[in-house]
Amino acid sequence: MLTQAQAAIDVNELLLKKARRKDIFMLVFPFVGLIFTIIIMTFATRGLFLSNENIVNIMNQSFTTALVAIGAAFVYAQGGMDFSLGAACGVAQMVFIGSYTHFGLPVWVGAVGAILVAVTATMIVGFGSYILHLQPFVVSLCVRSACTGILVAGCNALGRNILVPMDIYGFLNNNTLKVTVLLLVLLIGWFLFEKTRVGKEEKAIGGNILTAVQSGVRSGRTVVTAHLILGLCVGIAACFQMARAGTVSTQSGSGLEFNIMIALALGGFPMAGGSSAKIRSVIVGVLIITSLTNGLTLAGVDNSYINMIKGLLFIVIVAISYDRSNLKQVVFM
Amino acid sequence: MGKPILKAMGVNKNFGPTRALVDVDFLLRSGEIHGLIGENGSGKSTFSSIVAGAQTCDSGRFELNGQDYMPQNMVDAQNKGIGMIVQEQGTIGNISVASNVFTGRLHEFTKYGFINMKDVTKRAQEILNDIGAGDIDAASMTASLNFEDRKIVEIARVMVADPNVLIIDETTTALAMKGREILFNLIERFKSDNKGVIFISHDLDELMNVCNKVTILRDGHIIDTLEGGDITEDNMRRLMVGRELSKHYFRSDFECTYDDTVVLDAKQITFGPVTNVDLQLHKGEILGVCGLSDCGMHELGKVLFGIEKSITGSVTLPERGVDIKDPYSSVKQDMAYLSKDRDRESIILSASIMENIVLPSLSTMSKIFGLISNKSEKSFTEEQIDILGIKCREPKQRLTELSGGNKQKVAFSKWLGRNSNILILDCPTRGIDVGVKAAIYRLLEDMKANGKAIVLISEELPEMIGMCDRMLVMKDGEITAEFKRSPELSEADIIKYMIGSVNNNANTSASSN
Repeated sequence: MLTQAQAAIDVNELLLKKARRKDIFMLVFPFVGLIFTIIIMTFATRGLFLSNENIVNIMNQSFTTALVAIGAAFVYAQGGMDFSLGAACGVAQMVFIGSYTHFGLPVWVGAVGAILVAVTATMIVGFGSYILHLQPFVVSLCVRSACTGILVAGCNALGRNILVPMDIYGFLNNNTLKVTVLLLVLLIGWFLFEKTRVGKEEKAIGGNILTAVQSGVRSGRTVVTAHLILGLCVGIAACFQMARAGTVSTQSGSGLEFNIMIALALGGFPMAGGSSAKIRSVIVGVLIITSLTNGLTLAGVDNSYINMIKGLLFIVIVAISYDRSNLKQVVFM
Repeated sequence: MGKPILKAMGVNKNFGPTRALVDVDFLLRSGEIHGLIGENGSGKSTFSSIVAGAQTCDSGRFELNGQDYMPQNMVDAQNKGIGMIVQEQGTIGNISVASNVFTGRLHEFTKYGFINMKDVTKRAQEILNDIGAGDIDAASMTASLNFEDRKIVEIARVMVADPNVLIIDETTTALAMKGREILFNLIERFKSDNKGVIFISHDLDELMNVCNKVTILRDGHIIDTLEGGDITEDNMRRLMVGRELSKHYFRSDFECTYDDTVVLDAKQITFGPVTNVDLQLHKGEILGVCGLSDCGMHELGKVLFGIEKSITGSVTLPERGVDIKDPYSSVKQDMAYLSKDRDRESIILSASIMENIVLPSLSTMSKIFGLISNKSEKSFTEEQIDILGIKCREPKQRLTELSGGNKQKVAFSKWLGRNSNILILDCPTRGIDVGVKAAIYRLLEDMKANGKAIVLISEELPEMIGMCDRMLVMKDGEITAEFKRSPELSEADIIKYMIGSVNNNANTSASSN
């Protein structure tokens, strides 16, 4: 009896150790990945990567991704996914510029309009998935298609590539303003996500929606809240992105949803949501994906190859990090 | 003594950190009816499903008729002569009886790419006749049969391959007289043909009558094997539990005591199999609801908590003057619900103990700006860990690392911490060991004494008789009897109303699907 009990304890210990090793791995891995990326890119660009101008550049490039990723964290935490956000960001930019060039409205009205447009798009995803009982991802594909259509039609009406008049919008490129806005959004996002009922219930839904509902979580409201937060972030990001790009076209915002998805995965954010979702992962992931894109571009790698590398990286990361013991698949459909 | 048919040597099986089977040695000889007993979660179903090829073991070896045996899947096991009849419903409703009997074997009747259904039906009818169920028409639709007849179809399906070893996994609870007779005749035939039967049951009486050997499992270990005159109820119970059962396992009093105040009033509940059920729960009452698994009691529990909506009638809390609409309103009114399916519904496995326990209480813990501090969550959790004695390293430990009993304690703690007044508990002691069971019974007693009201839904009659003030017996979605707590009440009294006559439960299974 004693030896049997002893054996039982040994095996239990072994299994626990294995689980703990994986936890530690998942905690450290993204940071190691970030440092690794920085080192590789520094060598590949012969130090250019770490030059002062480029660091400012990286900060600027990560701004949009970071803002949107913080909002997206709420949607991803409950196991959802929103692929409309890139196209919604494009439409928001179009509204922002069009309100001035076409209608002569003040900038702040345009900004409010842009944010409202982005929120509307993501809220359609949120409400749609709740009312129709569909995966947010599926609904978001439809909204994405609609937004792309609106963007193309709008751009055609406003004159193809719309140049942004910098005398009006230039203030949005002020680095102090951008850093302030980012830090503010990050702080509020972190607080909501880690310290309040909002974030905790999002994660509970990602962990097990049946349990969450049976514990008194209102799933519909929680899903819609997540998409509302995402919409706000997309709207704010759209305003700054437009000023930075200096132009609005049918391509505005495209590919943002993929960058967000890869950033979250690289940062160790669980694709199926749940309790191991952390805002920390969002920041690390955004830094990795921006460094990677920036470094490869500096090193002279063609843009199409960069996208290929990102795609492969995503699959590898998901394969490594996906928690199989959870019996839960990353649901794309 | 017959020659060995099936031999298991050092079989191990783990589910995550849980050890379901530990170095299990087992021997089945020809002509033997070998009982396998143990508490829920002792590993008997795991063992039998490995033998039948439904699962694989982590280590160990099997021999069948002297040859190495390691089934790849259930069909492989069947072809090698092992057949298993399981507890759960395993027939497909919208195909014919004959197709069900020959599930997975229809290709044997294929000619030029077409299946000769006439042959299938003919052969199926022969098998049904052979086991003594000639009254079932092989050509009829399976959904038109009642629950028991569908079970008999499953027995026929197992007999198709003419097995050498028959495994019967808690099947008899689902069978009334006719089904039992068929099954016991079959067992007799296996005995006289010098084949072997592994018989899993909770019914100690039945085991004594049928088996010539009984092996007891506890926590995945083989404890002992009893033979002949040693097979007594006392011996079996003692070995299953591992110690003399203390007198205070269940409630020690035998009075039906509760306040007259009605705290939950359900009227005309109709949902799924449940039809027109009325139920009143009083302050300080433990109200039992029992029946067979598909009688509708689990669905009733979900309706009481607002997870499912009744088509007619209402669930009201008269004291507070509110109707229950959804789980959110129930939790707000200090109600609690524990699902039968713990890992799937009651807890978030991938989350920590802390995240699980605070979940229903988040709204009450929010401070200024909605802040919920780590410190308050931690002290809240630690208090609950203390109260129920949850075995863990720290509040942040994940639930995947805990044993079943401790997971159940966490599921309970969620609601204890929320200070719930009305608890709907669906099989709260399912699949947990005796120690934790006793702890839960003490907890229920405490809660009752503190004026809380509990609906206890369970399939385990001893627990019902031992704990409840009142018992409602359900059959086919209706309440068939009500019993008050009394020392004279026996399981047999209750079972009568759970199963009832075969004739009037026709179409049960069809409607419950």
